[in-house]
Amino acid sequence: MSGGAKQVKISFFTREEDEALHVSGNPLYVPVSLKRFGLSEIVNHLIDKDSERPTPFEFLINGTLLKTSLEDYLVENGLSNEAFLNLEYARAILPPSFLGSF
Amino acid sequence: GNDNYAITENPTISLEEARDLWRQSEIASQDLAAGLSEQLRLILEPTLATKLRGDYKTGKRLNMKRIIPYIASQFRKDKIWLRRTKPSKRQYQIMIAVDDSKSMAESQVVKLAFDSITLVSKALTQLEAGALSIVKFGETAQVLHPFERPFSQDSGPKVFQWFDFQQTRTDIRNLVAKSLDIFAHARASGDSELWQLQIIISDGVCEDHATIQRLVRQAREEKIMLVFVVMDGINSNESIMDMSQVSYDPDSNGNMTLKVNKYLDTFPFEFYVVVHNIKELPEMLSLILRQYFTELAST
Ligand SMILES: [Mg+2]
Repeated sequence: MSGGAKQVKISFFTREEDEALHVSGNPLYVPVSLKRFGLSEIVNHLIDKDSERPTPFEFLINGTLLKTSLEDYLVENGLSNEAFLNLEYARAILPPSFLGSF
Repeated sequence: GNDNYAITENPTISLEEARDLWRQSEIASQDLAAGLSEQLRLILEPTLATKLRGDYKTGKRLNMKRIIPYIASQFRKDKIWLRRTKPSKRQYQIMIAVDDSKSMAESQVVKLAFDSITLVSKALTQLEAGALSIVKFGETAQVLHPFERPFSQDSGPKVFQWFDFQQTRTDIRNLVAKSLDIFAHARASGDSELWQLQIIISDGVCEDHATIQRLVRQAREEKIMLVFVVMDGINSNESIMDMSQVSYDPDSNGNMTLKVNKYLDTFPFEFYVVVHNIKELPEMLSLILRQYFTELAST
């Protein structure tokens, strides 16, 4: 179990045309410590949880690329984990070496 | 006493404004309060077997303790009979705990929460089942109306004054821990006829289910009934019933693996109902209480 970790309510949406990359917009309660990699893992799990070849995604909140953890985002924007975040995801266009940094 | 849980800061809205909110909630729950009260009366009414009690001039069985004084008094002290009397009224202490956290405002259930407080407190006052207390919680839990004070005409609006749904945490673990403490103090020593019930009104979004579950079990051991009324959002795509929880569990090799489960599958309260509309509350609350008492009777 995630123990006493802080969590926040989020939901995903995408503008990708490929229907195969779409997931439901139902709310998810996730650890605030998540960054791009963890979020990408969740989206891939929702698309196909047994997939051998995950698609790397990047995330945007209100049109701005998420480069930190959700927790840092909340703090920087004067929000608490009582907020409900709408996360847009898109296939990563950045080089993998750069993606590895957040 | 529990003065340390009493409110210390200033109210967030004026009494005038609060009275107005209360009136609006009264209108919304007008036809429902009497119905709920009747439902609750049926559920909470004593189920204890009737007892034979003295002293009467006529009755079903002789009260042996009265025979010698009867003879000694030249047959004047003639209240020597026992009768089957109505069961004694079960006494309740009922606490309504209301979520004052910001997520309540985010998911637009503030109005539903206010209406629910009004409906439940009106039904309980009509019932005259015992003492009523109202608590708000978020980062901490605070008593807005203590058991000792009668719930009068102006008590509702005075309680409403303290809500703003801006608290940035929803610490339900802390709420349950404090409630156990408040109930322990409120229970007169060894009063076995006293029943303690807490009704939590919240959007149900909280962390740390495992720890809360331990406290819920403790409450049960201390014979405190906990029922959770989940206020669900009006936006159907945000329903708690469709919400999932992400967790990371170690697999057989000790590697953390991602798990996505239904949020309500690990919800720490055994007795909960999901309410979308104030009109659903009487039936749902009755349902969950009936379920509670049925289970209590079978164990
Ligand atoms: Mg909350």
